[in-house]
Amino acid sequence: MDTLFYALAVILAGGVAPLLLYRQFELMKAVAVIAIAIGCLLGLAALVPVLQDTGPPPMISWSWQHALTLSYRIDSLSVFFLVPIFLICPLAALYGYHYLDKSEEAGRVGINYFFYTLLIISMVLVVCADSLLTLALAWEVMSLTSYFLVIYEFQKKETRSAGYLYFVFAQAGAMCIFAAFGLIYSYTGSFSFEAIDQLPAQAKLVVFVLSLIGFGSKAGIFPLHIWLPHAHPAAPSHISAVMSGVMIKMGIYGILRMYVLLADTSLLFGQTVLVVGMVSGVLGVVYALGKHDIKRLLAYHSVENIGIILIGAGLGMIGVASGSPVMAAFGFVGSLLHVLNHSIFKSLLFMGAGAVLQKTRTRHVDELGGLGKRMPITGKTFLIGSVSISGLPPFNGFISEFLIYFAAFQGLLLTGSSFLFASLAIISLAVIGGLAAACFTKVVGIVFLGEPRSSAAARASEAKLSMTGPMVFLAVLCLLIGIWPEPFVQLAFFGLRDIAAIVPIDPKIAANLVGNLAFAARLFLAILVVVTLLRKVLYARKEVTSGPTWGCGFTQPTVRMQYTGTSYAMSMVEFYQPFVKVRTAYSGIRRIFPGLTTYETRVDDIAEIGMHQFFVHPLMRVFDRLRWIQHGHIQLYIGYIVLTIVVLLLVF
Amino acid sequence: MESLVSFALALLLAPLFPGVINKTKAFIAGKKGPPLLMKYYTLAKLFRKGSVYSTSSSYVFKMGPTVSFAAALMTLLFIPLAGAGPVFAFHGDVIVLFYIMGIGRFFTIAAALDTASPFEGMGAAREAFFATLAEATIFTVLILFFRMNGSLSFADYFHGDNPISLLGPAGSLLLLVIVAMFMVLLTENSRVPVDDPQTHLELTMIHEVMILDHSGPDLALIELGAFYKLFFYSAFLTHLIQPFMFSGALVNGLVFYGALTGIYVFVGITESVMARFKMNLVPKYILTSFTLVFFAAILTMGFVK
Repeated sequence: MDTLFYALAVILAGGVAPLLLYRQFELMKAVAVIAIAIGCLLGLAALVPVLQDTGPPPMISWSWQHALTLSYRIDSLSVFFLVPIFLICPLAALYGYHYLDKSEEAGRVGINYFFYTLLIISMVLVVCADSLLTLALAWEVMSLTSYFLVIYEFQKKETRSAGYLYFVFAQAGAMCIFAAFGLIYSYTGSFSFEAIDQLPAQAKLVVFVLSLIGFGSKAGIFPLHIWLPHAHPAAPSHISAVMSGVMIKMGIYGILRMYVLLADTSLLFGQTVLVVGMVSGVLGVVYALGKHDIKRLLAYHSVENIGIILIGAGLGMIGVASGSPVMAAFGFVGSLLHVLNHSIFKSLLFMGAGAVLQKTRTRHVDELGGLGKRMPITGKTFLIGSVSISGLPPFNGFISEFLIYFAAFQGLLLTGSSFLFASLAIISLAVIGGLAAACFTKVVGIVFLGEPRSSAAARASEAKLSMTGPMVFLAVLCLLIGIWPEPFVQLAFFGLRDIAAIVPIDPKIAANLVGNLAFAARLFLAILVVVTLLRKVLYARKEVTSGPTWGCGFTQPTVRMQYTGTSYAMSMVEFYQPFVKVRTAYSGIRRIFPGLTTYETRVDDIAEIGMHQFFVHPLMRVFDRLRWIQHGHIQLYIGYIVLTIVVLLLVF
Repeated sequence: MESLVSFALALLLAPLFPGVINKTKAFIAGKKGPPLLMKYYTLAKLFRKGSVYSTSSSYVFKMGPTVSFAAALMTLLFIPLAGAGPVFAFHGDVIVLFYIMGIGRFFTIAAALDTASPFEGMGAAREAFFATLAEATIFTVLILFFRMNGSLSFADYFHGDNPISLLGPAGSLLLLVIVAMFMVLLTENSRVPVDDPQTHLELTMIHEVMILDHSGPDLALIELGAFYKLFFYSAFLTHLIQPFMFSGALVNGLVFYGALTGIYVFVGITESVMARFKMNLVPKYILTSFTLVFFAAILTMGFVK
């Protein structure tokens, strides 16, 4: 436990140093990156004894300001969530070394590193918190620091409004969490985690729903995901990588932690989480298909993957509730492993998108193309990330999705409504898988393959080493987990060790299953290698020429004739109406010799429209009526305060 | 050993059966049709040739044929063929295999987009769309089979102690599955009424248009992979319509290939009596198959306790 805090101190030093060193731009960045890397390695090293230790989890607590007790504890679930934090954050920091390359913004870069280290530290404290108060404190620091990271390019109006949106969602979510904590406090009279399972059933339900909303808005569950597609494109890419890869998982951690603490085994919890997961999963990927801003699209994929994670968790909860230990174990293990996997491939993809953005200055997929030839390393790693996120073997995404499938199939043995929920989970996973593959063939195909659609894309060149290095590392990790999943699945099983509700299953079942998965992945790779060699043999001493693409008789093709991302996705997106709103404006062709015609189509998020129509507008109308309260007379404001205190004193 | 022999036999025989479809179609049209071994001749010709690559394309274009071929090959290793067990089997292999086919499709689509051709992009978009719908049907079939048989492997479905059979306790539900899987077969293998494999140019809407730019051994690998995929789906259906196993290996083999030929003939008949759907009708067609199996899966709630 002490090592962990030393690690945090080193990381913090890496954040403070840039504030002092900002006049030496390169030195500042190097110091920050090295300190963060050392701190995170130290943090990973601190986890090793916990992994080996079987005794009670290490804990530490001290009283702060004589009134509040801050206590921290590392149990197995915390350990599991600490792994992606310590794994992804240093890589993203290293990526930032060349990504933040404007020396005239040195001061701002320094501040960015400062908040970045605070974000890392607060995330670590969130997963280690051992009382309601500690958790709430760390949670707030995390929300605030990430807000400052999002508004890095604050001169842009777009960025400021995205930041504002994020701020509102973060604070509204925090309100729900605090309300849940307050409710707990009103029953137990303490901030400790101890007595939470003693709450009456009804209170438990309210607490769980409130924390699902609060933590879920951070995780990005549908329809509380609205901030994601705005904040991720606005933030610098390595920040998006950390926010999407790691920070939103804190929401998942919160939901799981509350579930564990409440120790309620009613079916309703699992069913709610499962339904939320299915809706987020399917709609997330459908909107991703409809979006053509590459970072916004990746943000919607985070919604999708959070959906998959929650499907796993929901199945696990149903398994616990209906006394099926195999289903419970595999649901939670698949869910946890997907947390790790998603942090790996999503940060890889955001880094790839960042490299594209840095070199071409555009995020719109229909203005890109042919980048695979100009940015070979980015192209190849992005391809690997895309296959992984689509959940296809032999990469890591498949392993976790398979485990969730397995849990769902175990759920088919149950009767009544659980059978239906399990079936729906399987069907939604299949649909999500297919749509994710469709969406990533779109991204890879339109952005990296074919011919460049704009001069900016044609001029692009490969990103610098500190950016490609982390991408290669993450891509290798994707393949490694895919063909050698055993230790990672074991790590996920370890994550469940301290959760009392989960009955340990026979380790042979899991070992057998995962061994078979690894075998299948290796077999496929072997076949692929053999076929590739066969192809080499077939092409030995053959005439191979090159020429233009066959245009079916048309001899004057231009790059503008290529299929665009918009047209690629449109039929799929239209299929999902009315859950997606597609708006088209077409000027039409009227005369025999038509003039300039325009065609515009956009896909709007129904959650956003609904939130505007049914929540924000009515709220604004009410607040408009109350404008007279704000008149600018300071003496009256003081009067309000006095009045409030008097009323409070009289009532309570 | 028996498994390996039947696997090798399947690899050799797979290109024969599309010839059966063409013969059937020719027969119904009152024509003589190409010889039964036509596909072998085509493959041999393609393997001898060199290739022309588009200047737009990259390494992904060359990976398309190898990955899709490897995926198709792998599926045949896991399905029981001609009365013999599969070469490999484990609990959960069905999910793995349908995802392996997914990666084959991923690279076929990527290769199509790599050519920068609008035609191929169009085909790719359709392939991706229809696959997402067909996947829902396939996984609902897996749900149904799990309810009937409690397993997740082709070996247990069709070759274990408690095989899924029309004569089994819930055999009547299989009728719905057979119809639905036949529809999926036509979709996944780009046959009429979803796609038309006959026209080899821009009029073809999905699979053929995606591989317009491939030539020589690359094209041969794609074609052979497509034959294996069709063979896989037909073998799947054959197991469903074959009510019980016989004792002798030879008899089983003959019955299997007889039934398999029947399925190919039926594909030929379907293609002769139907026209290709308009593209906007295809999703409804695939969803019909989904509805059939979902209905069957719901029925198991009553049948199988």
